[in-house]
Amino acid sequence: MNDQILIHGLQYGISILEASLCVLLASRGRWRRHKGLCLYVILLFGLDGVARAAVLHYFGFNSNQYRNFYWWTDVVLALGAFLLICAFFRRACAREERLWRLVRLMLVFVIALVVAISAFALTRHYTQLYIRFIVEFSQNLYFSCLVLNTMLFVMIQQLAIDDDELGLLVCGMGVQFAGEAAGLALYHLTLAEPFVQTIFSFLNPACTLGMLLIWTYAIVKTPQAVPVRAPVGKQPALVEAVAD
Amino acid sequence: MIMAALILILSTGLFFFYLQAVCQKILRRQFTQEFFQSIVNANRLEFPSVRKAIEDFGSPVEYPRLTLTLKCDFLALTYLLKNAANVNQRYSYEERLLIVYFKLVFASLITRHWLKLRETPAALKLTAILEYFANVVGERVNTVRFGNLTASDYLLNL
Repeated sequence: MNDQILIHGLQYGISILEASLCVLLASRGRWRRHKGLCLYVILLFGLDGVARAAVLHYFGFNSNQYRNFYWWTDVVLALGAFLLICAFFRRACAREERLWRLVRLMLVFVIALVVAISAFALTRHYTQLYIRFIVEFSQNLYFSCLVLNTMLFVMIQQLAIDDDELGLLVCGMGVQFAGEAAGLALYHLTLAEPFVQTIFSFLNPACTLGMLLIWTYAIVKTPQAVPVRAPVGKQPALVEAVAD
Repeated sequence: MIMAALILILSTGLFFFYLQAVCQKILRRQFTQEFFQSIVNANRLEFPSVRKAIEDFGSPVEYPRLTLTLKCDFLALTYLLKNAANVNQRYSYEERLLIVYFKLVFASLITRHWLKLRETPAALKLTAILEYFANVVGERVNTVRFGNLTASDYLLNL
């Protein structure tokens, strides 16, 4: 009973934070700078916060409709996360066009590889083809996102990109993906023992909450680089203004 | 099975790595001025001297004194964080996160001492956290005015 109250509390916390983040981005006119992030948070709020809850309420937890809807939205969210990481890579390579071309190729290769591996896994499960593919695909895609996110973090450090906001956004994603991957691996290792199921049901919302809190901190607290008009013949510079 | 174990180890490591990176990013926050100095002077905190000793001689002061100094400064600063010029009288989320981070780094300092590894990196991290706390307290106190004096001037003139 207490577990359920805590899980519901976490879910409500996530929904409130998602809505607040959307409002925060829109109200301060930051959505232009964070288009990808804004779209992802709206997607998260719309699918995870509203649509899933509505389908659950309408059809019930054990229904096929809810199960199908849950996994389909999971694929959409995984694709959204992948595209958001692409947007972060683009931002990190803003001044390195050559590197961006290379990174773009790598990202296309990664998504092709994930589709191929997921399709290959199907050959071992001829029954439940449809649901098996989307579960496999979303899990593989989430794990690739974790690897790509770590590569992005290392790249930011190596290129000494002075963008604290991007660094924090990447860390937030890392906390979410790493936490979920660890939970899923523990789930498989212990063959879904009851205590692991309880941990697993807490871990996912807790990681999402952690990610949203880190993103909110990144948006609210990190200084913004604002372009300043340069004298004629000189390059415009970026100066840092302290976020209010 | 092996793959799942590998993913578990890797992702758990990455989870803590990212949390540590978030703490480091928070600690990188730039303050408009060095607020911590007035707080250090007013409360006779010792962490700047610990850091200076590490920077000058490459190793901290003897271990029992180091741990005691850092612990006392931590207790004083967390008390001030909660009570000095803080209307809500509670920590913010980032302060809570940094308090947990301090405790973990402190535990790693003790472990390093037992294992006879270098203690310097952990000690430097701890002084950086304490400096951040002192800066936050100083910034808060600086916004409160007592007559014509700022609170830090008031504390210094006691």
